This record gives sequence, structure tokens and C-alpha cells, in this order.
Amino acid sequence: MSAILLILGLFILVMINVPIAIALGAVALVGMVLSKGTDSIYNAALTMFDAATSFPLLAIPLFILAGALMNTTSISRRLISLTSALIGFVRGGLAMVNVGVSMFFAEISGSAVADVAAIGSVLIPAMKNRNYSPELSAAVTSSSASIAIIIPPSIAMILYGALSDTSIVQLFVAGIIPGVVGGFSMMGLCYWYAVRYDLPREEAFSLRRLWVAFKEAGWALTLPVIILGGIFGGVVTATEGAGLAVVAALFIGGVIYREINWQHLRKAMVEGVTQTAVVMLLVATSAVLGLYLTEIQVPQNFAKWVIGFTSNKLMVLALLNVMLFVVGMFLHGAAAIILIVPIVMPLVQQIGINPVQFGLIMTLNIAIGQQTPPVASVLVTSCSIAKTDIWETTKVNIPFIGVLVLVLLLVTYFPPVSLTLVNLFYG
Amino acid sequence: MLISPTCVQRYIMLDAIKRWLERILEVVSISLLVTMAVIVVLAVVFRFMGKSLIWYDEVASVVLAWLTYYGSALAVLHRGHLGFPGLFLSLPKPLRAAAFIVAEFVVIGFFLVIGYAGWYLLGIFGEETLVSLNWVPLSFTQSVIPVGAALFIIAEILSIPDAWRKAMAGIDYEKEMIDQAIEEASQS
Repeated sequence: MSAILLILGLFILVMINVPIAIALGAVALVGMVLSKGTDSIYNAALTMFDAATSFPLLAIPLFILAGALMNTTSISRRLISLTSALIGFVRGGLAMVNVGVSMFFAEISGSAVADVAAIGSVLIPAMKNRNYSPELSAAVTSSSASIAIIIPPSIAMILYGALSDTSIVQLFVAGIIPGVVGGFSMMGLCYWYAVRYDLPREEAFSLRRLWVAFKEAGWALTLPVIILGGIFGGVVTATEGAGLAVVAALFIGGVIYREINWQHLRKAMVEGVTQTAVVMLLVATSAVLGLYLTEIQVPQNFAKWVIGFTSNKLMVLALLNVMLFVVGMFLHGAAAIILIVPIVMPLVQQIGINPVQFGLIMTLNIAIGQQTPPVASVLVTSCSIAKTDIWETTKVNIPFIGVLVLVLLLVTYFPPVSLTLVNLFYG
Repeated sequence: MLISPTCVQRYIMLDAIKRWLERILEVVSISLLVTMAVIVVLAVVFRFMGKSLIWYDEVASVVLAWLTYYGSALAVLHRGHLGFPGLFLSLPKPLRAAAFIVAEFVVIGFFLVIGYAGWYLLGIFGEETLVSLNWVPLSFTQSVIPVGAALFIIAEILSIPDAWRKAMAGIDYEKEMIDQAIEEASQS
């Protein structure tokens, strides 16, 4: 009964446009006061402080700062040149360049919208000039930005790891194969579109051009190699790796490229701290909700209810996927992870699903959610740049969403896709 | 409809206070972010030199909590916290106005309660300190809850006139944010 009232309260508050973070805290606070008396407000205040001091989550602002530093240099232009020199000679090469750059770049600043704006404002007009339909240009930009969510470093994975007590490093490693499979499948799909609609090749392949582009972008490419090498090699933690990313970005942007624009950097840092705070306030208030949910035994009862219905692992995974898909359609990624993880983790553990594999399932559902209206900020951004209708773009986007769903199904029902590398390095 | 000069003056004054608060919160939040980065990098360097900093994870975590609440107040000045404005904006105007007022009361009420509880707790901590730095009182680190709650309420109130105007005109903040991101990206 309490759970139903809680959901109803939450629903009403979110519908009247109370920010989700405050709606979560407010319903939890009212519930706690009604069940345990007014003294529970002190517990709530303490929890809001403690939840915000999560050490693994320090990686979020630090990766955002590194991304902001890199964004102020001409990194997007350099990466576009390099990827273009590498695959631009293939039919439909510009669409593939878009996928390739997104795989490296997206989510780098912690704001998917800002990243899609950075890539899309260069590539979408270029694609339109080369006879790509505006809808296809928007769809490729939008979907390829979402596959990047599972390629490390990923803010969504850091959040999931911190909330579910799962190794962030192992989540990063687990994302590599599915991310590459998804990225290359999208490139394949671009090729199919290119043949079907007779889309052009860019310049012919030239080793000289590739070398020049590589020299220009090489330093930017060393950044993920150094950082992820340090993290995967166990030399530094994910948080420390993020700290080193800041130093490396300062060095590359300030000393090598000499391109850091302090005015842009200030803006990017303000954006970065705001993004961090928005996510962290959600973490803090959802911890208060978590307290109340545990008190009224919602996660345990949810697990019991699902297991009473079926204890078949594959069926439970299917149910969880449907639930995550629906939640992802209506909530932003961070909010969906923060709200769902504490509720479903007991079930995930009881049924024997590997938490690293489930982390990938969760983030892939978030990626799909970014592409499915009504709440689909990445898609909306791409459509705004391409000046296309969201629903018309969605029609073209369906095969790309299909790739994301395919990767999700692979990760869900064929665990080696995500766990082989994890077992190899940490087994 | 004529707007009285006093009304205009009040609006200008409110806007000036808003900008002033925004600047302060920006400086505080960016300083916290930079401090956090410096602490983490120093910790790695010291560890490689064989001298681990025992206080680093505890202090860096507290800095993150501070960033959370000072940054949250900054975000609310632009109404940047995640929401679901779709249904709200499609309500008929009178209902939308009523929903707006109720939502403001919920937000301010929530932080009034949390701020009061946080303030009360400061007295309870007494002489307690951080585990790794015994000269830093917990009442100092935890002060971010009442201070952050107060700043959140002030920022919420200061941003009401703008939010009200946009809500009544049916302007979506998220759409506005996307347009701004695109404009900034195309400028740089």
C-alpha cells in the first residue's frame, strides 16, 4: 500500500514539473515522517550528505573537466579529419566518419547534448551538402552518440558501478566488445544506406593524408590510451585515472596544441559543475528514497514478486529489459539509473545475474531510451541541427535503434560478449 | 497593460541579485572542482613517491559533497535540474499556474525541512572531526547541508519570475538548453 502511494505521489510531483531529484526526496521524506515520526528528517539530512560523498563518483566531475578541457581545443575537427582520412574513401564514408568520431567523442563532456551539438554542428551540414537526407544525417549522429555510452569512460557506468557496488573498471572492460560490435554494425548499416541511395565517397585514400591527420590528432588519441591503460592495468583507480585525464588534457591542450581558450573553458567548467551537481543531487535524494524503500521492503518484495512469477533467468532478464526500456523512454539516463538500480539489485543478485553484465544491460537500455521519444534529448538535439521532424527522423532511425537492440540482446542472452575480456583480465 | 516603474525597478534589482549570486556560485563551484582535481592528482603523485596521503579520499569526497550542493544552487538559477515538463506545459493555463505554485512550494518546503535538519545536526556533532584530519570539525564539513539548502531556496525564489514567464508562455527549458548548446557549438 505504501509503495503504491509512493509511486502515485512521485508521479503527481513529476507531472507538475517538480524536478525529479526533489520529487524523489520529498515523497521519501513524507513517507518516513508518516511511518517513523518527525525525527527521521535528521536521518534524511545525514543521508543526503553521506550519499554525496561517494568516492567512486568523484570520477564523474573529473572526466567532465578533462572533456571540457579537450572540447575547448579543436579536438572534434582533428578527429573528424583523422577518421575521414581513414574511412572516407568508402561509399557513405561521411556517415561512417560520424559513427567513428562519436564512438571516441560522445559523452566526453558528461552532457550528451553538448557533445552531439559539437559533432552534429560540423557533420550534419557536411552530410546534407553531400546529398545525405537530413533525416539520415540526424539519425546517424543521434544513434552513434548513444552507442558511445557503453564505450569507456562512461558516466552512466560510473553511476551504475557506484550505486550497485560493482567494479567500475570491470564495467569499462566489459563495454569494449559490445561497443565495438555496435559501432561497426552501425558503420555496416551506413554502407547499406549508401549503396541503396547511391551516396558519395569522400576523397580517395591517401597514406600521406592519413599520416598528416594522424600527426594532428595523435596526441588527442594518446589520452584514452594512457588513461584507460592505467585503469585497466590496475596502476590507478577509475577516479585517479580521471584525475590523470585532467592533467593529460591540460598538457595536450595547453602545451602541445596551445589551443586552450580560457573563456570557452570557463563556460565549459560551469556547464560541467552544473551537470555534476544535477546528477549528484539525484544520487543524494534517491539515497533518502532508498532508505525508505528498504524500510517498507520494496526491493525485497519486488524480487519476491518477480520470482513468484518466474525464476527463469532468461525470463527475468526479458522482464527487466522491458521495464528498463519503458523507464528509459520517459526518464533521462542518469535519473533512470539512479531510480532503478537500488530497486532491482536484490532481484539481480538472487537470480544469479552477473552485476557487470547487468550494468551493460542497463546502460544499453539507457542508450535506446535516448533515441525513443517522448524524452530523447540526444535525438532532439540532432533533429534541431538537421532541422528535421522527430517522428520522420525516427522512421529512418529505426534500423539504427535495431542495432542497439541487437547489441542489447547479445549482451543479455550471450554473456561472453560482455564478460570474456573481464574474465580474461580479472577472472 | 502598463507596468509600473516600481515593478520594473524591482525586476531589475532581482535580476542584479541573481547575476551576483550566479557569479559567486560559479567561482565557488569551479574552485571546488579544481581543488578536487588537484587533490586526486597529488594523491597519485605522492603514492608513486611511496608516501600515500592518508587524508585524500576522505577530503576529496567531502569536496564532492560541497560541489553537489553549491553546484545544485547554481543549476537551479537556470532551472537546470532534470524534470519532465511535457505534461505540465500541455496543461491549460489556469491549471498550469496552479501546478507551478504547488511545485514551487514542494521544492522550497523540501529544502526548508532538510536545511533545518542539517542546521540542527551541526550542534549535535560537537567536537567530532574527520577521521583522517582531526583538526577539521564535522560541523564544518556538514555545514554544506544547511548552507546549500538556504542557497537552493534563494536561487529558486530568484528564478521564479523568469520560470513563471516561461511556464505561462509554454517555453520548454530543455528545448531552450538544446538550442543554446547548438548555438555555442556552432560559434566555437
